[in-house]
Amino acid sequence: MSGSPSMPDSHTSLSPLKLIGLVVLFIALALLPFVWGNRFYISLITEIMIYGLLAMSLDVLLGYTGLLSFMHNAYLGIGAYVVGLFLIHVSPTSLWLACLVGVVFTGLVALPVGWIQVRTGGLAFALLTLAFGMMFYTIVWKWYGLTGGDDGLMGVPSPDIQLFGWSVGNTGNPAHMYLLTLFVVAIALILTRRIISSPFGAVLEAIRENEERAAFVGINVRRYKLFGWMLACVLAGTAGALYILCKGYIGPVTMSAFAGAGVLMMVLLGGLGTLWGPIVGAGIFIYIQDYISTMTEHWEIFLGIVVIFLVLFMPTGFVGLGNFFKRLRKD
Amino acid sequence: MNAFLCTDNLCRHFGGVMATNRLCIEFEKTGLRSIIGPNGAGKTTFINIITGRIPASSGKVHFQGAEITNKPTHELVKLGICRTFQITSIFNNLTVFENVRIAKQANSGGSLRIFSTKKSLKKVACDTWVILERLGLKDLAGLPAKNMSYGDQRILEVAIALAGDPEILFLDEPTAGMSPAETKHISDLIKGLSKEISIVLVEHDMDMVMRISDKITVLHYGSIIAEGAPEEIRTNQLVREAYLGKDT
Repeated sequence: MSGSPSMPDSHTSLSPLKLIGLVVLFIALALLPFVWGNRFYISLITEIMIYGLLAMSLDVLLGYTGLLSFMHNAYLGIGAYVVGLFLIHVSPTSLWLACLVGVVFTGLVALPVGWIQVRTGGLAFALLTLAFGMMFYTIVWKWYGLTGGDDGLMGVPSPDIQLFGWSVGNTGNPAHMYLLTLFVVAIALILTRRIISSPFGAVLEAIRENEERAAFVGINVRRYKLFGWMLACVLAGTAGALYILCKGYIGPVTMSAFAGAGVLMMVLLGGLGTLWGPIVGAGIFIYIQDYISTMTEHWEIFLGIVVIFLVLFMPTGFVGLGNFFKRLRKD
Repeated sequence: MNAFLCTDNLCRHFGGVMATNRLCIEFEKTGLRSIIGPNGAGKTTFINIITGRIPASSGKVHFQGAEITNKPTHELVKLGICRTFQITSIFNNLTVFENVRIAKQANSGGSLRIFSTKKSLKKVACDTWVILERLGLKDLAGLPAKNMSYGDQRILEVAIALAGDPEILFLDEPTAGMSPAETKHISDLIKGLSKEISIVLVEHDMDMVMRISDKITVLHYGSIIAEGAPEEIRTNQLVREAYLGKDT
């Protein structure tokens, strides 16, 4: 063994203080529905967590692998429709099986799409995500017999949440759905963080930094880009399963390019390449959307203005704000 | 075909321009070979083909008895064919340590361990320190690569290439834009390496080329016009004409 044992790494592990803080935050969030009975806000926070998971999965792609997907919401949509269709047509009570089928199906769709997309990079890759996303949107929109077309998929049953044979709740209950979402998103965040700081994550970052150099150190760039893509799409499919369970409904608008741009905004508002930043970004985005839409139906205009200000004055997102305060404290 | 690495009538044209014109060059298992020639002679194109950056139009490349023409880059690296670029190509936002570590990891496996920590690949970390120490980058290990001086970045790129455990290493103008002291440092390093592995150097600094090369190949308009020891090349009439133009 030569040299110092420490590893100069740009990923810092969590300090004990931060870890305790996160555990406290998690417990506080888990207790929230028991002390706060407002079903509307509980459902709103559930939606924020679901979109947070979607934005986080897009961050795996954009912030860590350096690939831009304009319509990552397409894979949330596929997951949601499949879980909904399974519950309607196959078994209205098999929650976990439905989720498994939805996530696996999302992966099966994402695999050939990714296989084609990773042959390109940069803008071409981004355009292909748009092309495929629009195809999926149109299929869902026009296939009235299966998806309900414009009307959306309605009458999705609310199965019980079974754990080891015990029924611990029902997805139709906002508080139960909130807790289910909280647990799934927390587990997904921990697993993804772990994967990102693994040797595999280091490969993704190398590709983001310099694709050509990555190939010239012996990395099969296409293969690892495909792995990154699959990870991002499977996480998006998971968010889709939660989405349909939470709302009991999904329409094609959720899979539109407009909604896709929203997810991208969440990631940028929160801060790229941090995983937790995009979850905060989803919170900011959905809260603003909800708040303004109570005042005017043209909420997109005002949301646009808010986003313009945030981008101009907080170009690195919410995460950058933290660094800004750190600098202030030092000076 | 007994040479360590050799090209057989290798061609590459861009439109009507023959950038590489039926080149047959043999490289030895160790030693320092320089490839020189005026601007546009096709030096970089030649090594781009061998290292898999661009495909050949025709012709073959053989390495240790096997044909490797137009193989994907990452496979060539696994065989031990590594390179640096004329324009510095490093991982800007990673630290110096991570830059070398990822190259080492790609070469020694473990990249699919999605639930391990990077620390768990102990041998990779160890080997990384050895390379950083050898190239004098140890003190900079924690620095983001983009914050290094230009000269240090060039050395980092050599470190990245070395982390691939090359059998043959192509260096495309490693000293371009370096100070005399940095040039001295890197040329000593290259000379030292050439005792262990095959080094192919594309370079414009004639003093350095003449001083450290074992053998020199001179290209002009994509073809070889001379090949031999430095002193032969220095006195070669064709080479003088290629660089200075014909006496009238």
